[in-house]
Amino acid sequence: MSVATVPDALSARFAAIVGEKNAIWKPAELRTYECDGLLGYRVRPAVVVLPGSTQEVADCVKLARELDLPIVPRGAGTGLSGGSLPSTGCVVIGLSRMKKILDVDLENRVARVEPGVINLDISRALAADGYYYVPDPSSQSVCTIGGNVAENSGGAHCLKYGFTVNHVLGLTIVLGDGEIVQVGSRAGELDPLGYDLAGVIVGSEGMTGIVTEALVRVMRTPARTQTLFATFPSTDEAGDAVSRIVGAGIVPAAIEMMDRLAIEAIVLATGVDWPLDVGALLLMDVDGVDAEVEETTARAREQLEAAGSIEIRAPKDDAERALAWKGRKAAFAAMGRISPNYHVQDGVIPRKDIAPVLREIAALGAGAGLRIANVFHAGDGNLHPLVLYDARIPGQEQAAEHVAGEILRVCLRYGGSVTGEHGVGHDKACYLGEQFSADDLETMMLMRTAFDPERRFNPEKVFPTPRLCGDKPGAYVAHAVEISGEAGRG
Amino acid sequence: MTGSLAVAGVTPRDVVTPQTIEDLAGVVRGLHAERKAFAFVGGGTELQLGNAPRALDTVVRTSALDRVIEYAPEDQTITVEAGVTLAELDRVLAEHGQMLPIDVVDRERATVGGIIATNAYGRRRQRYGTAKDLIVGVGIVRPDGVRARGGGKVVKNVAGFDLPKLMVGSLGTLGAIATATLRVYPLPASLRAVALHFDGAAGVASAVAALVAQRFEPESVVVYNYGALVVTFAGTAGGVDAQIAAMLEPVAAASGCVDATELSDLERESYEQRERAVRRDGEWRVRVVAPPAYPVATLGSFAASAPLAVPVAYPLMGIALHAHAAGDAPPERHLIDLRENVAAQTRGTGSVIAHAIPDVARPHVDAWPTLLPAQYATMRAMKNNFDPYGLCNPGRYIGGL
Ligand SMILES: Cc1cc2nc3c(=O)[nH]c(=O)nc-3n(C[C@H](O)[C@H](O)[C@H](O)COP(=O)(O)OP(=O)(O)OC[C@H]3O[C@@H](n4cnc5c(N)ncnc54)[C@H](O)[C@@H]3O)c2cc1C
Repeated sequence: MSVATVPDALSARFAAIVGEKNAIWKPAELRTYECDGLLGYRVRPAVVVLPGSTQEVADCVKLARELDLPIVPRGAGTGLSGGSLPSTGCVVIGLSRMKKILDVDLENRVARVEPGVINLDISRALAADGYYYVPDPSSQSVCTIGGNVAENSGGAHCLKYGFTVNHVLGLTIVLGDGEIVQVGSRAGELDPLGYDLAGVIVGSEGMTGIVTEALVRVMRTPARTQTLFATFPSTDEAGDAVSRIVGAGIVPAAIEMMDRLAIEAIVLATGVDWPLDVGALLLMDVDGVDAEVEETTARAREQLEAAGSIEIRAPKDDAERALAWKGRKAAFAAMGRISPNYHVQDGVIPRKDIAPVLREIAALGAGAGLRIANVFHAGDGNLHPLVLYDARIPGQEQAAEHVAGEILRVCLRYGGSVTGEHGVGHDKACYLGEQFSADDLETMMLMRTAFDPERRFNPEKVFPTPRLCGDKPGAYVAHAVEISGEAGRG
Repeated sequence: MTGSLAVAGVTPRDVVTPQTIEDLAGVVRGLHAERKAFAFVGGGTELQLGNAPRALDTVVRTSALDRVIEYAPEDQTITVEAGVTLAELDRVLAEHGQMLPIDVVDRERATVGGIIATNAYGRRRQRYGTAKDLIVGVGIVRPDGVRARGGGKVVKNVAGFDLPKLMVGSLGTLGAIATATLRVYPLPASLRAVALHFDGAAGVASAVAALVAQRFEPESVVVYNYGALVVTFAGTAGGVDAQIAAMLEPVAAASGCVDATELSDLERESYEQRERAVRRDGEWRVRVVAPPAYPVATLGSFAASAPLAVPVAYPLMGIALHAHAAGDAPPERHLIDLRENVAAQTRGTGSVIAHAIPDVARPHVDAWPTLLPAQYATMRAMKNNFDPYGLCNPGRYIGGL
């Protein structure tokens, strides 16, 4: 096999826009871009470009359109649903070079950032002033704001403060025709004019265009944060504790649950001194003004005890607090300690149903002879069952995938959702057709095509198609007005 | 009576009131088939908002769609039909010590569909946000009569495009809101307010800055008549006590207020009535919106016509409300001058939306500010996708959408 040393004609044209070193076309270098955090799928893009400005993004989009190439936007590639998985022959537009915090305006409590800025870097930049950017996905030290916007990412502390969509006020986006559009708030004003386009772009999984700037809300760090850590004999009692807390009208900043297997993995990986002989653990934060934190913590304690907690600890200082949260944030990575492979699932159920749903999930695992660890955002009812398997054992990977899929059906049966934060992407398009009707999906397609009538951005994602899912009910049917061309951009 | 149902000054030929959502879908399908122009009306409390629709054959009322579909207090969510009034919702939720913290002018009339379509809010937006933050699911009837859902009934959900967000504030131009699932909140154990009176705007601003610096968590912060700062705290007894005490002593002293007192429930209620008045009274009613660092309370008022209600501002949100008399001719100058004034003082980032316009002025002014062309193109594309024949509340919304 001969190794190419000069870019092909196509890559050369992109290189002319972004500069030679920012156009990636050598097969060995393309490998990094063949997949995201959803392992098991790899597709080689035609070319990867790393533009350095909004204008370069717009020029790349125009060129891709001229050449009729699909475009797949990419942040840090930590997505877990295949959102930045390339399409065959596509151009990947990577935003990793656009990582400047452009402006911090504490008077208006906003920051304007480029899409490649790492989530945690915003809070780091603001820490000295006592401000922070609230949404805190566990991947926050590596994932980008552009990826967060596309996925409407959540995090432990979104329980009290809301998700990415509640913290993104305005966006600059490059549409399919290369047009640069500013939507939502420009400088921190709260009522932007017209339809909430920013609200639609957030969570649109890179299918509306390329976000090149975000105006995000920043908040004062709370006056005080109290962490509580409670252990329980099983997830039944821990689940009950969560419904009691929510039902009692207590709004903690975060409530996270870990079951026995998750605790084991985390202890092995991080050395935190959590007891190994318990069935479940809740980690919660209460924050706000001093007296309020004190009273709310006391009330929460009562509920934890009433639900049957074994032990309740309150970390004494920031160092102890940080350690407990470090354990939580390391949870996915820690699974490597107890299993060669695992499949991360993400589903949502009503918060009152945590205990029975976890029992059903355990039964699914037992039925397939697989262990399932649970570590999740309990306060929001956002489950993350981790189905453990060993890819070396024939059939286990498929069995794990099957169980993970069945878990989503359990979530749907309880009136929940097939994704709370990881997105639909490539992974769950077919399940979306089980959650929504053909009319619902068609309506969502009307939303999408208002931004991207040619469906150039991230094609083959999110929407179920017969090719992906077979002839299942709920597969997408094009809208009559789309076919007739009546509903174009006007 | 169709007269009372004039939409931004335009009286419909017909009014129909479907009894079920199936019915609603059938009515819309029929109107769509006949290419009739229609608008949806809930409680009819915001019919002045927006520009006169270009055409209006039929008003479709959602008031009979008044069932609570599912209430899960342990999950702090409720699913209702769009015609449920906020007063009814208050009663249902109060049985479980919960509430929907959205402030409207008239809770007996305002409906859930209406507050979503208009993105109505008042002082408590400071703590709880608006329908945009509280809505987790929506069921709509599209302008072609097709029913569709987005979101769901769980509080966290990223499956599919966010139809609920799109519907909030779309003013009925993309279809009818038929059902909604909303996140609700516990009624606070303690609710108390203080009023700090000032001689000038500078004092108000410094008190507000102190409140932020101290990391207080007020439920609402409102300035009445440029000089009275009313701060309400809601939460646990001790937390509220501590914040009230701090407002009355150090914050009051440092910001140079002439008088600081805690309000009785009656006094608090009387301030809240003033907030409702500025959203209800006056032939001109406007909302000024700007980045909050601008002194929004004093940014703009109608120099030329008499105020009919005490002006109200939410300084932490950068929003001010004014209600005025029609004033002398040419009346449209009032709005044009105010817009120029606000734009000049905010380097173009502030804007003015008219919630009510005297009928004589309607032909000469736009209720909405002007959109940038690129933004407008995308909104127009959205409208065309949902309503290619332009039947659904045509022309009432921004940019003639
Ligand atoms: C260990 C681990 C823990 C995680 N924990 C969480 C968690 O707690 N909560 C959570 O919500 N997620 C979590 N995730 C998932 C993931 O980190 C988030 O989805 C994150 O937002 C992805 O950001 P990214 O920069 O890696 O984006 P990518 O993975 O590169 O892309 C994600 C999507 O965004 C699109 N996209 C990226 N940039 C842009 C742009 N500028 N414009 C338009 N579209 C764009 C892509 O096309 C793709 O569809 C976790 C992942 C890992 C590996």
